[in-house]
Amino acid sequence: MEKKENREVILSLNHIDITFGKGRKLFKAVSDVSFDIYKGETVSLVGESGSGKTTIGRAVVRINPLSAGYIKFKDDIINGKLPPEEFEAYKAKIDEKIKAVNEEYEPKIAADPNNKELIKEKNNQIKLLEETLSCAKGKIPYQKRREYIRKIQMVFQDPTASLNERTTIDYIVSEGLNAFHLYKDERERVEKVEKIIQDVGLLPEHLTRYPHEFSGGQRQRIGLARSIVMEPEFIVADEPISALDVSIRAQVLNLLKKFQNERGLTYLFIAHDLSIVRFISDRIVVIHLGKIVEIAETEELFNYPLHPYTKSLMSAIPIPDPILEKSKTLITYDAKDHKYGPEENPQLVDIGHGHFVYGNEAEIANYKKIREGK
Amino acid sequence: MSVENIKYQAIDMQKINAAEDDDLFYFVDNNTLESEKITAPRYSYWRSVFRTFFKKKINYFILGFLALILLLTLIYPIFAHYNEFENVAQGVTYNMSPSAALDYFGFSFKYILGTGKNGNAIFDGIWAGALTSLSLAIVCAAINMILGIVIGAIWGYNSKIDTVLTVIYNIIANVPWILLISVLVYIIGGGFIQFVFALTVTGWLGIAFFFRTQVMIIRDREYNMASRCLGTPMIKVVQHNVLPFMTSVIVTILATELPSYISAEVFLSYIGIGLSSEIPSLGRMIQNAQDAFIQFPWAFWGPVAVSAAITIILYVLGQNLADASDPRTHMQ
Repeated sequence: MEKKENREVILSLNHIDITFGKGRKLFKAVSDVSFDIYKGETVSLVGESGSGKTTIGRAVVRINPLSAGYIKFKDDIINGKLPPEEFEAYKAKIDEKIKAVNEEYEPKIAADPNNKELIKEKNNQIKLLEETLSCAKGKIPYQKRREYIRKIQMVFQDPTASLNERTTIDYIVSEGLNAFHLYKDERERVEKVEKIIQDVGLLPEHLTRYPHEFSGGQRQRIGLARSIVMEPEFIVADEPISALDVSIRAQVLNLLKKFQNERGLTYLFIAHDLSIVRFISDRIVVIHLGKIVEIAETEELFNYPLHPYTKSLMSAIPIPDPILEKSKTLITYDAKDHKYGPEENPQLVDIGHGHFVYGNEAEIANYKKIREGK
Repeated sequence: MSVENIKYQAIDMQKINAAEDDDLFYFVDNNTLESEKITAPRYSYWRSVFRTFFKKKINYFILGFLALILLLTLIYPIFAHYNEFENVAQGVTYNMSPSAALDYFGFSFKYILGTGKNGNAIFDGIWAGALTSLSLAIVCAAINMILGIVIGAIWGYNSKIDTVLTVIYNIIANVPWILLISVLVYIIGGGFIQFVFALTVTGWLGIAFFFRTQVMIIRDREYNMASRCLGTPMIKVVQHNVLPFMTSVIVTILATELPSYISAEVFLSYIGIGLSSEIPSLGRMIQNAQDAFIQFPWAFWGPVAVSAAITIILYVLGQNLADASDPRTHMQ
């Protein structure tokens, strides 16, 4: 794997909070979550039911609004807004860039004042920068909003509920193509749809069928096809296999891998058990009750699970050997066991090897010791 | 021969047979694409609706009956030119029983049900009245359904409008319906258009409220979120994701609404706050005949039977159509 510094960050979550309800009913589903996703990698978000994994996934596709923090996709903030103290610096940076563009183009325009292309190009670049600034205020221009809808796609958990029962597969797969008019003529649309349906291992004759005629695995592949046909850069896969039979899970996972290799896609893979995650992901983010407890690369995490919650998740992985399985001890985790004092401020700390763990100072010191094998 | 010997022989026979089996059978590859094929017949929504509908034999009978009534209601009055005061100058023709009327006028369908208190032909009067009732019902149902469905769909989708419209609904739904209509008819008069206005001014609210609830159930399904992620515009979401699921709901509302306007007209005319006296209507005929219906029952039972028949047929037909349009009934 490349060095981290050289890789492009495609999506970055910065101290995001997501709350539901108001006043006394206020419920904080996600608190102070930050992590980066690099281009071309698969990051898995693992945690139990109600830990806020899906909420984060939906915030990335802009269905759930943030109550604090921001999510940045490439250069633009796509959800939430910059905090006021950071905004000034951000604005200054953008202003500088605008100035640089002006300086770059002015001599060229002065030399060739009748060249309209040049003026157009300059205005376009300035407009883009101004739009980026507007995104930082939480006001995303229509064009950008449409662009990010197309580039960030989602694969849903329940293949039964996520396909419209009253439309044909043809309509479902070309829904996004129609919304963005990603084809020149009808022939090109049909070609695109037939190509993608074959790519997911189905037949073109299925296009005139309705969703209820398909099995769960086939439906999930249709759901995958309608996202991939949009040619996205980023896919949020919200537990795409947890509703499927164990025997066909591999089919969908292999397709995800195949598309990643072919198209350089980046995935945020949401799952609730670690066994599948090991197969598909480059890095794993473990989340508990809306807080990140551990982030590490896959093998690092499996070799050195440090946080007690991660350990408890690991102990829940079934072992395909009845004798070992029976003698295995399950670790149960309770967040109250930490007994954090009021002054203690537990944080997510880098302990080296790209490994982040949540804890107070004493715990972190302990984790470091375990990691270094002392 | 011992048991082991028999076994031995049997195995030998198998070996001999195996050589010949090679010519009889060939090996079939495991083809993954082959296993994706669907062999079930193609599903078409509307074809399934009609198939389910006509599987019930009673629907043929009901449709036939409806066709007869529609023919008499829509076509017959064109030829009959009903006039209530046609025979008003001839006092003998008042309240004639069917047999007496047929004796007096000679045999014709016009007098087959006798005459009323102005010497008017009951049979002609019934169909002229049925035409009024039916057109009133169709116009009112069309206006109320269109308003109710459009507003209900927006109501179900928009949470800001929801609070406002719910308050309005709660206030208006608690005003007695009869009171509202009688006041309106007194103010604006009892012509056909005025009566349509009185029945539709608040009539759409109930439909919109019902529709709103149905839309809310569909609205939060996951495929709508999927459509949002795919950037589908709202109008297409409503068109493809919400309305198709509403077909059976719409047919059900129509099945109850259409007959209810006919009975509403009959009821309101009967209690005297309906259409004005120059418009022929079933309700008014019943009202005119009711004070002497023991003495001259033919003038009363004719219009009652026809209004009941139209209402029941439309209702049963609507219910059966609503059943057939529910895709859950399409599985055999």
